[in-house]
Formats: sequence, C-alpha cells, structure tokens
Amino acid sequence: MSRPASGGNPYVNLGVLAVVVVALCFLPVMTSPYYIRVATGIALWAGIALSWNVICGYAGYISFGHVAFFGIGAYTTAILMQPNMDWNFWATLPVAAVIAGGVAALVGWPALRLRGAYFAIATWALAEAVRELTTVLHFTGGSGGLKTPIRLDENFFFYTMLATTAIAYAFCYLLLERSRFGFQVKALRDNEVAARAQGINTNLVKIEAFVLSAVIPAVLGGINAYWITFINPDSVLNTIITDQLVVMVLVGGLGHAWGPALGATAMFLLQEQLRVSYGETTAYIIIVGALVMAIVLFLPDGLVSLGRRARRMRLVRQLLGRVRDDVAPQRAEKQTEEATQ
Amino acid sequence: MTELAQALVGGILIGGLYVAISIGFSLSFGVLDVVDLAVGMWVVLGAFAAIVASDALKVDAFALLPVVFIVFGVVGWLIAPLIYRVRTSKYALPALMGLAFTFGLATLIRGGLLTTFGYTPRTVRTSFFSGNVELFGITAPAIRVAGFGFAVVATGLFIAFLFYTRTGLAIRATAQSKENAGLMGIDVKRISSLVYAIYTGLTAMAGAMLGAIYAMTPEVGLRYTLFAFFVVVLAGLGSVVGVMAAGLFLGVLQSLVTTYVGADYTLLVVFGVLFVALLLFPQGISRRGLA
Repeated sequence: MSRPASGGNPYVNLGVLAVVVVALCFLPVMTSPYYIRVATGIALWAGIALSWNVICGYAGYISFGHVAFFGIGAYTTAILMQPNMDWNFWATLPVAAVIAGGVAALVGWPALRLRGAYFAIATWALAEAVRELTTVLHFTGGSGGLKTPIRLDENFFFYTMLATTAIAYAFCYLLLERSRFGFQVKALRDNEVAARAQGINTNLVKIEAFVLSAVIPAVLGGINAYWITFINPDSVLNTIITDQLVVMVLVGGLGHAWGPALGATAMFLLQEQLRVSYGETTAYIIIVGALVMAIVLFLPDGLVSLGRRARRMRLVRQLLGRVRDDVAPQRAEKQTEEATQ
Repeated sequence: MTELAQALVGGILIGGLYVAISIGFSLSFGVLDVVDLAVGMWVVLGAFAAIVASDALKVDAFALLPVVFIVFGVVGWLIAPLIYRVRTSKYALPALMGLAFTFGLATLIRGGLLTTFGYTPRTVRTSFFSGNVELFGITAPAIRVAGFGFAVVATGLFIAFLFYTRTGLAIRATAQSKENAGLMGIDVKRISSLVYAIYTGLTAMAGAMLGAIYAMTPEVGLRYTLFAFFVVVLAGLGSVVGVMAAGLFLGVLQSLVTTYVGADYTLLVVFGVLFVALLLFPQGISRRGLA
C-alpha cells in the first residue's frame, strides 16, 4: 500500500521527477495566464489533498473537518494583512501554521484517543464551529468576509503555491516513507494494540500526525487568501472543500505517497472542465458523492492501484500464472517420458 | 421565570424529535458498526419528500407520514447491503471505508437536493395543528406539541418492537455480538438491512415532522448529523434510556442558547459540550468507543 506503485529503477523515477519539475518551473513561459491559474489551483489542491492523506491514509483516522484548517490559515493571513495590521505576507504564514497546529493538537488530544468515527464527527463539528465563529465575530468581517491587498502577479502565486506544495511533499515523503516516524504511524494504523506493545506512544504519534496534516492546509490557505484577494465563510470554509479532499485522495489512492497529487490533478481538471462547459453547478456535488461511493465499493486503493506492480494487477497475473501452472506439469511429464525413451 | 419555563418546555418538545432521530441512528451504529454520516440527509430528504408529495397529491403532509416511512424503509433496505459489504470486506481499513461510503452517500443526497430544489428554505405545510396550546400559563405552538406526541408514539413503538418481539431480540443480540448472533442462527446481514431500513424510515418521518417546525434547506442536513452524533456520544452505545435523556438535553440546550445567547451560537455550544464530554469520558462514555 505504501510502496511507490511504479517501483522499478530509482534512477528512472528520479529522471521522471526531474523532467516534471523542470517542466513545471518553465510553465509560465510556455502557456497563457489561464493555464497558469489552473496549474496554481492544481498545486493548491494537491497540497491540501496530501495533508488529508497524512491523517487518513497513513494514520487511519478520517477527518471531515480539514476545511477548518484551510479556513484558519486563510483568515489568519487576511486579518494580519488588513491595513491596520499591515504585516508582511511571508510573516503571516508561520503564524497561520502555528494557530492551525495548536487547534489540531487541542482537538486531537481528546478525539484521537477514541475510535475513528468519534474523531470523524468531532472534526466535522469543529469545521462547523469555526464557520459559525467567523460568521459571528466582527474582526473576521462576519458573513461579508475580508479583502486582502491585491497583487496582480499570477507567476508569483504559481511559484509560491508550487514551491509550498513541493516542500510539503518532500517533507511528508521523507517523514512518512523514510523515517522512524513513518513506521510508527503506519504501525498504529494497522494494529494499534500491537504498536503500543512495541513501545510506541500511539496517542502522541497520532497527535503529531494530525498537527502535521493541519499545518499544510493552513499555509496553503494563507497563500490562497492572498491569491483570491477576497475571502468569506462561504468560500474558504465551505464544506465542498472537504468533499473535494475526500474524493481526490480516494480517487488517487489512499495511503499512497503520490496518490493525492494524481487524484487532485484528475479531479481539479474535471471540475474545471465542468465549470467551463456548464458554469457553476451543484451537479458537481452529485458527481463527487457518487465517485466516493463507487471508489469505496470497486477501487478502494484508487488510481495508483492500477499501476504495473500494484496488488490488483498482481492478482490478474496470479490468475494467469495458475493457468500456466496447470499446463506446466503435463509438459514436464512429457519431457521426462521423452528423456526416458 | 416564565421565559425560562417557556424555554425549557420548548426545548423538551423539540428534544423528543431529536430522540426519534437518534434512536434508530444509535441502533444502526451498534448493528452495522458504521456511523451513518447521512443521518441528517435522511431528515432533510424526509421533509422534502413530504413537501413534494403533499403538493403533488393535494393531501395534507401529516397524512403522508406512514407513506414516508414505507418509502424510506424500502430505500434503506436497498442501500444497507452495500454498507454491509463495505464494512465486512477483507480490504484494509474497512471501518474507515465505511465512513467514507456513508459520507459519499450524504454528499450525493446533498448534491441531488441542491440541484433539484436550490438553496431556498422550505417548510412542510399542514393544516392539522395550528394555533397554540396553553397549559399552566405556558404557551407552546400546537405543532411542536404534536411533534413531541409523534416522537413519543414512534419511539414507544420502536422500543416495544425491540423488546417484545423475536426479531427485536435478534436485533439486540446482533448489536451485542455479531459472531455469537450468527452462531445462534441469526442472519446478520438480513438483520442489518432490517435495522437500517427501520432507521431510515423513522428518521425520514421525524424529518417530515421537523420540517413543519423548522425551515429546511439541503444545507441543514449536516446540523442534524451533528445533533444525532452528539446524542449518541452523550448517551453511550446501546443505551435506550441514555438516548432519551441526551436527546431531551440537546433540545433544552438548544432552546436555552437560542433564548439567552442567540441562534447563531447553537453549534458552537454543541461543539463545546461535545469536546468537554469527549475530554472527560475518553472511553466514549460507553466502553465501545475505544479503538
């Protein structure tokens, strides 16, 4: 589940990665501003989807309140950049990360000790509570929202978003696939009692994973607030954001290092295409819901499980192999007969 | 003083409906081992079904309550095997996948309702219960009293079914231990479908009732999901008395917050109480909350 599905030669993988990185870096030179906006959106969603994958795919706790951290980040940046505060944009991002991490630790502390369902709804309630809070408080602008200073530089946002997401991916990859922490998280996901018996402080590891998965959307939310220049509870705290995360990660591949990026790209392009063809439509929510159900039923490991080395393909090969095995003994007998003659 | 009494009575009257919503939810959690995140959507769907049907058939919405129960029972009966299949699959993390599945179901229903009816709030119109009821100097809208009466009858019938029939015994046995129930010759899959069907029917019917009291939009479904979960966390799994107490408590809490603080703060307070409850009772109040 956690090994890269492509497998094979690490140099080939690195080469492919290098080509992708170079192509992304030179994207603004090659295409029009519209496609840069689309690419920025993909980078944003790939980052948030990654963060959801950390808590759900690796730690095995489903969070339906991730939009809360995105919103907290967006509001922190927006509030600190108001004319009366006038902070530098870069200085606001660490603050957003710290606040979101603190909230995650506070909520995760009681909720993560319980069975997954309790955590799922506690986070969901958190998202609704945050949304209600921003609507009634005055310094968040209520339901009217907040404006951020306007910066008309698509390339700046593209590179910022891309770099943030890339750093997040590199960080999570090293932490979850190449370190002790990753083994601890996966161990508690697969069997919590056994993990505890091995001396892992499971409660602490779970909270750490949750904080990690809260910090990423907060930073991205901050960048997003600066990018879209106007935020309100309906845009950055909308439940549709959580819906999107769930479907993106499930489509891509739960608990897989590169699954979220794949799923985010596929779903964002689909959504963008729908928007271009039919305008803003709530029918998209139907598609999201139906896709989530279909994937849970028929393709629980997502698109990455269709890869060459994945379990599903191995099953097919095993079936083929068994057919060959049925044939093989007869051939062997014939050969021995021929040999004796 | 009258204001406080008024708020308390209003809260208890609404709380009865929360009990009706949560009791099936709690049982299906126990039997299917999956938290149905679509519970709030069944509430909203029930209300919208009553609105559409009474408009189309020119029948009073309350006369259609049994029809709502049967229709949604059938729908639940058809969906339950899918949830059962996801929950019992040999695949990794079936519990998590079960949650994701019902989440997808909730999203699907929400999207469908938004696309069909839009964001405009609607109410179930009925001419049966109008005006106010006055007792001991406390006035309450007749519709709320009727809602409470309905909740008492529905919950009572449900409990009688659970405790005085052989099927009810099988359901309670399944909720306690699926393996042992299966060994005693109970078809666990069938029982799961039955429980889910009764639960969806009951919840949709309570939703139609609730729709006559509060305006419904597809967006409020989430609110009722959180309410039902709040009740189950506070009550503890498998405790019928607990569900009643917690449901009434939620009604009173909501009523007090609305009267003295403001309706905008309801979910904040509910979340705060939920947070404290989870903090004080890490065993999930009932021991089955543990991982």
